[in-house]
Amino acid sequence: MGIFKVTPLRKRQFIGGLIGILIGAGIIGFFSLKSSEEYISLGPMNNGHEEISCVVCHADANGNLVQQIQSNISHAAGIREKSVDFGSKDVTVKNCLECHDRPNDRHPTYRFSEPRFKKAIKNIDATTCITCHSEHNGERVSLKAVNYCMNCHQDLEVENDPVDVPHSELIAKEQWFTCIQCHDFHGNHKYVVPTKLNDTIPLDRIQVYLEGGEDPYGSDKKYLGLSEPEWIKTLQKK
Amino acid sequence: MKKLKNSPFLVLIILIVSLIVLNSCGGVPEEKGSGSTTEKNVFSVNEVLEMVSKENDVTRTLYTKAIVGKGKLQGMKFDEDWRKDDVEAGPLPALFLRGVATSIRKGPVPLGLYLGSDFPINNANKFEGEQESLFEDIKVTQKPKYFYDESQELYTAMFADLASAQACVSCHNDHPQTAKTDWKLGDVMGATTWQYPKDSLTYSGAVEVLNAYAQGTVDIYVEYLDEIAAFKSSEKPIIGDKWPAEGNYLPSPEVFLDSVRKLSSYDTMKTLIASN
Repeated sequence: MGIFKVTPLRKRQFIGGLIGILIGAGIIGFFSLKSSEEYISLGPMNNGHEEISCVVCHADANGNLVQQIQSNISHAAGIREKSVDFGSKDVTVKNCLECHDRPNDRHPTYRFSEPRFKKAIKNIDATTCITCHSEHNGERVSLKAVNYCMNCHQDLEVENDPVDVPHSELIAKEQWFTCIQCHDFHGNHKYVVPTKLNDTIPLDRIQVYLEGGEDPYGSDKKYLGLSEPEWIKTLQKK
Repeated sequence: MKKLKNSPFLVLIILIVSLIVLNSCGGVPEEKGSGSTTEKNVFSVNEVLEMVSKENDVTRTLYTKAIVGKGKLQGMKFDEDWRKDDVEAGPLPALFLRGVATSIRKGPVPLGLYLGSDFPINNANKFEGEQESLFEDIKVTQKPKYFYDESQELYTAMFADLASAQACVSCHNDHPQTAKTDWKLGDVMGATTWQYPKDSLTYSGAVEVLNAYAQGTVDIYVEYLDEIAAFKSSEKPIIGDKWPAEGNYLPSPEVFLDSVRKLSSYDTMKTLIASN
């Protein structure tokens, strides 16, 4: 009797609430599992990233959610100088370089921050990896056209040009798609460059490669990107 | 809901409690950097860039004269493709600088360093736009140029890069892809461009910039010594406290950095002390 009397309505509300909490906890638990990451991912991972966990790139932002909300409110009110990341940290070039930094990179992103590349980076922003390697698309390179060399190498002159069709002729005819048939952009492949244009890698094979298929430059590379366990080891050293 | 609407006092209490809960955590701590401490900014960005550029001049001259110049006399090789597996050589001075710049960018100090020219060996290093016009003045006056790169919001300085050693002149004049064959000792062969995001720095901030540069020189020099360790057919120089002038020797990274510091310390210390 009295205040402890449970009406059928209250009972149904209680059971319903409990079921709701259990389902909610189950959903959170399921999506927290490493094996469920593919359901949260925006799309299939790019080549070589299939095995890595979300947290390798999407590190938790500093502080807890309440702190993050408070900090951003303070920033909006002008009390705090900088805003903070909410949920997870932004993925930057630094994240990519933690695994892919190589001393032999022919086109490291930082070089394009120099003022003289201002015009070129308006066409193709080479200061950041994701311009060409947009993630969660199940591919290797996300550019539609492979004529990007034209943005910087219009004045290229090659002394004692070893190719049967000289570079100057290829440039004059604006055959920019031929560059990649010999030269991979980052220069990491140990690959003997042919001297006859007919012996170069056909464009359709290049296209397959960019879409995530077989590597036409071969598998002999000077440096390999770090695996997740190797990356974790680098963090432990810090 | 009706109750809530009719109880402004209750709404006020909820708001106050929410604010207390929100603020009780203290927010995310501000990141500590050279600018967020109580230390005062005592250097303009131009002063710091000038200081580090002088250190660069000393380092480059030392590397070009004492390592590349004297090393060549001992039979050591230096090549633009020095990183390739089938090339057993060290970095040419311009690539040594590129290595320093790469190392700096890997660290936390937001310092950018680039080398360019109006007659570069590789056309991709040719100045364009604002840098090209400023370099015309630098060639005449040999004085630095400062500007603010609005698109990137970076303070930028350009300093003359002189042909300070015979090795600079002869290599560039004789290079098969050179666009100019009459370089002379003392010519302005190009310019280094330096960038930094803040207009002024604390004493610690300035020292961080100098240290980042020094660490960069050590990193690229160590990479060179690592390449030597992997030589298969070439004779390997002995690494220690001797220099190529004395024979088939190369200084260890500590000896190399120590020499740079000895040569540049007077100018750098003078500027650092003047701030106090």
